[in-house]
Amino acid sequence: MARYVMVIDTRKCIACHACTVACRVNNELPIDMIYNPVTTVGPEGKFPHLRMLHIPLLCMHCGNAPCVSVCPTGASIQRNDGIVWIDEKKCVSCKACIMACPYGARISNDQTGTVQKCDFCKDERVDQGFVPYCVQTCHQNARIFGDIEDTESEVFRLINTSKTKGRLLEDLGTEPGVYYLY
Amino acid sequence: MSQKHGTWDWMLAVDFFFSGMGAAMLLFAGIAEFVLENGYLSTIGIFAGAIFIMIGSGILIFELGRPFQSWRVFMKPTTLMSFGAWNMTIAIGAGILLGTTWINLFPWFGIIWIRKILALVCIITGFIVAAYPGLLLAMNKARPFWTGSGMVVIFFVSSLLTGLAGYMVCGLFGDASPVIYGIFPYVAAGLCFLQLVVWISYILSKTSGISDREAITTERWIKGNYAAPFKIGVLLIGTVVPFILFVVPNLIVVVIASLLTILGGLIMRNLVIYAGQDRTWLPGEIEYRSKLPHGDEAFLQKVWTKKI
Repeated sequence: MARYVMVIDTRKCIACHACTVACRVNNELPIDMIYNPVTTVGPEGKFPHLRMLHIPLLCMHCGNAPCVSVCPTGASIQRNDGIVWIDEKKCVSCKACIMACPYGARISNDQTGTVQKCDFCKDERVDQGFVPYCVQTCHQNARIFGDIEDTESEVFRLINTSKTKGRLLEDLGTEPGVYYLY
Repeated sequence: MSQKHGTWDWMLAVDFFFSGMGAAMLLFAGIAEFVLENGYLSTIGIFAGAIFIMIGSGILIFELGRPFQSWRVFMKPTTLMSFGAWNMTIAIGAGILLGTTWINLFPWFGIIWIRKILALVCIITGFIVAAYPGLLLAMNKARPFWTGSGMVVIFFVSSLLTGLAGYMVCGLFGDASPVIYGIFPYVAAGLCFLQLVVWISYILSKTSGISDREAITTERWIKGNYAAPFKIGVLLIGTVVPFILFVVPNLIVVVIASLLTILGGLIMRNLVIYAGQDRTWLPGEIEYRSKLPHGDEAFLQKVWTKKI
C-alpha cells in the first residue's frame, strides 16, 4: 500500500510563492484562505555568514493525525495511502480538528459552514496519477511528492540518504508526512 | 470576506460554563439521594441543573458552522466530543425526570427505586459532563496552555464550586434542604481554597515549563493581557473573596459569595478558551500571518465587489 509523503528541499526554495498561488487558483480557494503559505526565517547571523530559510507549510498528512481522531462526525478521514481529507457533507465545523492540528493547516469557512484543508489534490491530481498542483508548479523542484513505501521513488531516496532532514513538531508524536531538507 | 482562521471562542466558554455548573448540580442531586436521609436537596436546583446543561448545549449548537446538522456530532461516540454530547443529552433527560419525582403531579412521585436509578444516572453523567471539557482541552497537544492533566482538575473543581453556588442561589426561590445553607457554604469555601491552590500550581508548573512553548504562553497570565482579568476576576473576585464570605453565617453574604464564584467561573472559562488560541507557532508563521489582510481592508473590499 502506498504512503504518500512530500519532501521539501528548503535549500532550493526561493519563496516565490508560486505554489501558494497555484494551490489557491486550482482549488478555487476564497480570497483569504491559504492552504500552503511559505514563511521566511531570517536573515540571521552577521555578514558574511548570513542565513535565511524559506519554509513552505501545508497539511502534514500525519501518520498519527490528531485531527482525524477528534472529529465527532467522522468527517475527517485518512485514506490508506495516508492522505487526510474532509468529507464536507459530514463536517459541521465544530472546530475540534482546527484546535487539534498543531500545524494550523485547517481553516474554517463561514460561508459553507465547514472546515477546509489541503488534500494533496487527491481527486484532480493524485488519483489520476499526477503530482499535486503545488509540486507541479515549483520550478525549483523544491517540492518532491511520492510514495515512501516505494523503494525506487525519489522521496524514499531523499529521506533515507539525506543527513540534514527533519519534520516539524515531531515531539508531539504526530508523525508528519512532510519532510524538510535543510 | 467571510472566511477566517476560526478557533473556539466565547460561545464554547459559555457552553462549558453552563454545562459544568448544571452537571455538578445534577451530580450533587444524585449524591444527596443516596447520602441524605430523605434524599432531597432542591427541586428548583435539580431542574436548574438540567436547564443549565440545555442552555450550554444550545449555545454549542449555534457555535457550529452548520447548526441544523448538529445531530452529526452524535455519530462517532468514540470521540471525546461526541461522548460528551451523548452524556449531556442523557444528563438533561435524567435531570428533568429526577426533578419530576419530587412533584406530586407526576404518577412516579414518591417511587423511590425510580428516583434511585435516575440519581445514579445523574451521578455518572454529571461527573462526566463536569470533567469532560477539561479533558477535551487537555488532549490538544497543539495548544501549550491546555495540554496536560491539570486542565481536567481545574474544570472539575470549578464545576463543583459553581454547582454548589447554583444550589445556594436556587435555594432562594423555593424549598431547599437545610444542607444547602448549612454544609454547602463550608464545602464551597474548601473548594475555593482548592481552586486557588490548583491554579497557582498550574501556572507555576507551566512557567517552570515542560516545554518552552508552555512557558511562553503562560507569560501572558502573569504579566500579559490576561494577568489583570485572571488575578482580579478569577483569583480575587471568583476565589479569595468568596472563600472569606462563605464562612460568614449569613444568607445574603453566602448568596453574594455564590454569585461571585459563578462570575469567576465564567471569566475563567473565557480566559482559558482564548488562551488556547496560542498555538505552537511554526518557524516564521507569526510574521507571515501578521502580513496577511484581516478581511476588512478597504482595497480588498473594492476589488472583491468590483467597485473600483
